[in-house]
Amino acid sequence: MADTARSDLVIETTGLRKEFTGRRGTRVAVADLDLAVPRGGVHGFLGPNGSGKTTTIRMLLGLATPTAGAMSLFGTPVPERLPDVIGRVGAVVESPKFSPTFTARQNLLLLARSVGAGRTVVDTALARVGLAERADDRYKSYSLGMKQRLAIAATLLKSPDLLILDEPTNGLDPAGIREIRVLIRDLGDAGVTVLLSSHILAEVQQVCTSATIIGNGRMLTSGNVEDLLGSTSYRLHVSDPVAAAAALEAVGMTVRRDGGSLDVVTDAPGDRITRVLADAGLYLSELTPVRADLETVFLELTADDRMGVTPTSQEGR
Amino acid sequence: MRLLLVELTRLRWRRSVVVLLLGCLVVPLVLLIGYGWSTRPISDSDIRQAKDLAAQDASQPWVTDEIERCGSDPEQYLGPDGVAADCATAITPTYENYLYRGVVDLGSVREEVGAAAITILTGLMMLVGTTFAGHDWNTGSMSNQFLFEPRRLRVWAAKGLAVTMAGAVVGTVVLALFWGGAALLASSREVTTPPGLWGTIVATQARGVLAIAAGGLLGYALTMLFRSTVATLSLMFGVAIAGSLLIVAVLGEGATRWLLPTNFLAFVLGGFSYYDGSACSYSPDGMVSGNCERTLDMAGGGLVLAVIVVAATGLSLWSTRRRDVP
Repeated sequence: MADTARSDLVIETTGLRKEFTGRRGTRVAVADLDLAVPRGGVHGFLGPNGSGKTTTIRMLLGLATPTAGAMSLFGTPVPERLPDVIGRVGAVVESPKFSPTFTARQNLLLLARSVGAGRTVVDTALARVGLAERADDRYKSYSLGMKQRLAIAATLLKSPDLLILDEPTNGLDPAGIREIRVLIRDLGDAGVTVLLSSHILAEVQQVCTSATIIGNGRMLTSGNVEDLLGSTSYRLHVSDPVAAAAALEAVGMTVRRDGGSLDVVTDAPGDRITRVLADAGLYLSELTPVRADLETVFLELTADDRMGVTPTSQEGR
Repeated sequence: MRLLLVELTRLRWRRSVVVLLLGCLVVPLVLLIGYGWSTRPISDSDIRQAKDLAAQDASQPWVTDEIERCGSDPEQYLGPDGVAADCATAITPTYENYLYRGVVDLGSVREEVGAAAITILTGLMMLVGTTFAGHDWNTGSMSNQFLFEPRRLRVWAAKGLAVTMAGAVVGTVVLALFWGGAALLASSREVTTPPGLWGTIVATQARGVLAIAAGGLLGYALTMLFRSTVATLSLMFGVAIAGSLLIVAVLGEGATRWLLPTNFLAFVLGGFSYYDGSACSYSPDGMVSGNCERTLDMAGGGLVLAVIVVAATGLSLWSTRRRDVP
């Protein structure tokens, strides 16, 4: 990778590996993961349960020690120099974790003071996630959605350049989910790089500009969401499918017959298909664009993972 | 410094800590009030009550029976010079028999009630240290804190220092109040203090403050090691009960030297004498001659306590630095 490209990476891991050793032997949670998250935008981090997403995040944040490999945040090697960059990173790992007997304001004040911030910053963060009016209620009286919002407020105390959110919309009602997604998108638009770990594929597709999909601790694919979704295909019905297939293949399109229908894969727009068939004297009765969604891509890539086929890893977190 | 202030605030905001600190204030006060009550001056009402009891007992049939038996064999009851005429006086209960009451003695306060107060304060501060760290682990907020300050040893040190400082302050204030109260009590009873006793008391309390602060640190360090309030409390009870039994089973007669209470009291009181069967000397006819006591000095007791605190602290620091945070 060129140096210039490297400098644009906010998160980079190389050969990252995490093994847990227990009475049942060693299990690999993350296996030689190469992860690259570019600066800016919202980056999705997808994987089935136990694929190693949370373990990867915990290693990046210094909560877990890697067995092997190298990591960097903003080009700074971590965990060795994590204290140099932690002030630029806000994170929610797994579920929100606060003292239940303290109020929301007390919980945030303690965190804020540990980085030299004060009450104003706390009030601003609480207002931003819509908790200003409940700020003096005890954390244990909060709904799960409010707890999630408080966790996100905690990440904003440091005015982060990088936000790492692990399942941030868990437990939120639809309105809350929408609010958080808007907030994440706004932060991304404001120049904050967001790493969004989620199992909600529609969320990633809606919010993220790029994504990495992992399975069994390994990276399966990574890139812009548009690229991951691939080319558009079309399903069409025509009176003479054989002749239609021949005409389309003659202009370089990939055609697959499915009973009386044809599936055509092409980067060309739909009217090109119409024109080719009309020139051949064939007329369509139906033309439907079929676009792969992220769910399809995800399910195809993680099929082995979900079936527990991979031999090196039994279980991750 | 910033982290220390944060941890002192966290400590102050924790309700269970506040309750335990209130306990630190109340328990020694109760001990002192109890001591004051048990040494209160004898009142007219007490004398009346004692006379009533004496009269009641004197009218019991066994008194008459005993006097008769004594009259028939006074030497058996009253010694070689005993005469029958003295039997009634010697055997009939008098009200003085019902009026025993101790007097205020600051020397014995130091060794008994004062030492008990220090022991209880140390135990309560161990609980403060345990609940302070345990709460952070139980709720998971410890990992949140490490996301803001990833230098774990700094976090450990700030929390440990906060607990230790709290122990030192609480120990100093509460023991000062305790001994202020004891001095007032002695003064109100017109008890004179032997020369040099206050110096001994101040030295005892200084070591007491050290023990109380170290107790807080030990509870905190163990909980940072086990990451669980329940595990730490189980260990404490286990050591208190099974540990003592094990030491006695392994070491036999010399076990007392190694029991925690012996070492604790030796350190706090500046030396502690205890029964040790192996210290007895025997006359040729197999009878015990002389006493069977040994004395453990302050340094000996302090060394054992210091080793325990240092070992727990070292393991705790190692664990905090090396182990993954859940």
